[in-house]
Amino acid sequence: MFKKILIANRGEIAIRVARACKEMGIKTVGVYSTADKESLYLRYCDEAVCIGDPAPLSSYLNIPVIIDSAKKTGVEAVHPGYGFLAENPTFAKACEENSIIFIGPSAKALALVGDKVASRITAKKIGAPIIPGMEISGREIKDFLNMAKQVGYPVIVKAALGGGGKGMHIAKDDKELKESIEMSRREAKSAFGDESVYIEKYLEKPRHIEFQVLRDKHGNVVHLCERECSIQRRHQKIIEETPSPVLTSQLREKMGDTAKKIITAAEYVNAGTVEFLMDQNKNFYFLEVNARVQVEHPITEMVTGIDIVKRQILIASGEKLDIKQGDVFQRGHAIEARIYAEDPDNNFLPSPGKILFVQEPQGPGIRVDSGIYSGWNVPAHYDPILSKLIVWSESRLDTIARTIQALNNYVILGIKTNIPFLKRIIETPQFSKGELHTHFIDENLSSLLPKHENINVALITAALQSLNKKQVSITEERISLSETNPWLEIGKWEICFH
Amino acid sequence: MEIKVNFLNKTYKIILEKEGDFYKIIINEKKYEVSDFTICAGGISFRVNGNFFSINYAEDKDKKFIAVDGEYYVFEPEKMEKKKTGTVATEKSNIVVSPMPGLLVKVPVKIGDKVQTGTTLAIVEAMKMQNELRTPIDGVVKKINYKEGEQVDAFVPIVELET
Repeated sequence: MFKKILIANRGEIAIRVARACKEMGIKTVGVYSTADKESLYLRYCDEAVCIGDPAPLSSYLNIPVIIDSAKKTGVEAVHPGYGFLAENPTFAKACEENSIIFIGPSAKALALVGDKVASRITAKKIGAPIIPGMEISGREIKDFLNMAKQVGYPVIVKAALGGGGKGMHIAKDDKELKESIEMSRREAKSAFGDESVYIEKYLEKPRHIEFQVLRDKHGNVVHLCERECSIQRRHQKIIEETPSPVLTSQLREKMGDTAKKIITAAEYVNAGTVEFLMDQNKNFYFLEVNARVQVEHPITEMVTGIDIVKRQILIASGEKLDIKQGDVFQRGHAIEARIYAEDPDNNFLPSPGKILFVQEPQGPGIRVDSGIYSGWNVPAHYDPILSKLIVWSESRLDTIARTIQALNNYVILGIKTNIPFLKRIIETPQFSKGELHTHFIDENLSSLLPKHENINVALITAALQSLNKKQVSITEERISLSETNPWLEIGKWEICFH
Repeated sequence: MEIKVNFLNKTYKIILEKEGDFYKIIINEKKYEVSDFTICAGGISFRVNGNFFSINYAEDKDKKFIAVDGEYYVFEPEKMEKKKTGTVATEKSNIVVSPMPGLLVKVPVKIGDKVQTGTTLAIVEAMKMQNELRTPIDGVVKKINYKEGEQVDAFVPIVELET
């Protein structure tokens, strides 16, 4: 087993990985840009290394500096988290060349499944149904226009190296297609450092259902069942659940088998997710492979009891998978809601800035994977994800009720967050009935608008607050105390080179 | 005591009077009797017209942040100047500003260009989201105050138009 690993990421996922390492007796090295100097995740690492300026290209996407940090700190492996370099074959290759183990698939497998176009061809070969579209990334505009004509509008433009909804745009005609290609290329370049894009037919009202797969270096492979991630905004998942309210055990077995076949055909080792779209007649189509730990992995952990991050580390170190497919079953129901720093009352504008107060929900079946604290300044340079609320209970309806209560008790003050919006989604009768699809938010927008029902209670609070200025300052002192606490533990040592 | 606060461009007047063991609060001519008022770490609890509430709040400069059962309120003092919004034009302005701080990734127009309502004048990126700033009016580009690749603050003029 490894003695020390470097976590090439930031925020809540860096903490998630650090926790797994601590439990396994592995030391961790955290890396940070100058914008993350005061970030919570560094408090969970044994060492911290500054890797550059705030812009992702000069820090979290800077391969030479990260490799250099790994060598200088003497780690045996690197965990890339999600986003940034997690699915970058150049990075995986750089690790391989420097005798550092990349906790993820090989550079070769990454290049195959990371290229959404190449992975479509692989899926087609093993007989998985795929959505009609390009089998090579387009260069010339006319190639895109021809393909759009062939499959029919609407089409969706996607980044070949994409993920997490970045660089995706829908086009309804030639004019929109041209604009979308330009937007996608620009966003893909900034998010993934590569501007290749392709198009495929856009399905109306599909469900997004994905399968978590684990495969070891010895060829053993299991799937950990599905996650339904149909609640999306701008192609970004915001609420996920497992089991899916529509999957039968028969369909689960069929999709799970397909997922395992794709992973095996790609000679993919480690944790990976095979994404499918499902139409209203329950036909499923292969979408893409996500070659990383997913943001939504905790819901699978909650219902299967299997620790995915630990399994990633065990597989990377060469251990044999000791789980058989027959051992995997889903117990109860889990929902994840992603907490973002954005203003749901104002067009979801990003809301970086200082967090004045945080109170996380607690109780049976409640898990919070968070990267924030009171007094922290949320930087504007990165993804708006602040934390994830993961809720487990016995049945779907019990889990919905528990999630609503947990969101009521999740208080983040000082910046805007999407907490009220998440709550309104989960409270809709359509959500309770499990009538989910990827356009759910657009279709139910009128019932998702802010109600501000408690305005008078809030105004009374404001009046009482003004009355008690003196006592309020005591509270502020308390907050500033709690914000100094995490700092008492930092900086066992740090080096800075860039 | 009387205080005025702004919430989503609307002003609310609150009158507060102490009457023996409780407070009388009047909002929009509606009366509330508030009792059992305690304030503690990040929270206020009170009873109003018989119902009990426990509310989290925070304060920063003049702003009051309040959370009530998953709903959020940010109150600003009444005199605070109304900020111009750049994207969805509620006000017809010839100055285009970004409603959030971020990186100016693109200015697809140049000085002297004639632009029509809805034309994108600038693209600002923060937290990986690109925000297109469109003109709420027809006009001619008079001034561009930043270069592509520069960092811009919220509510500073980026592009100015002449009508």
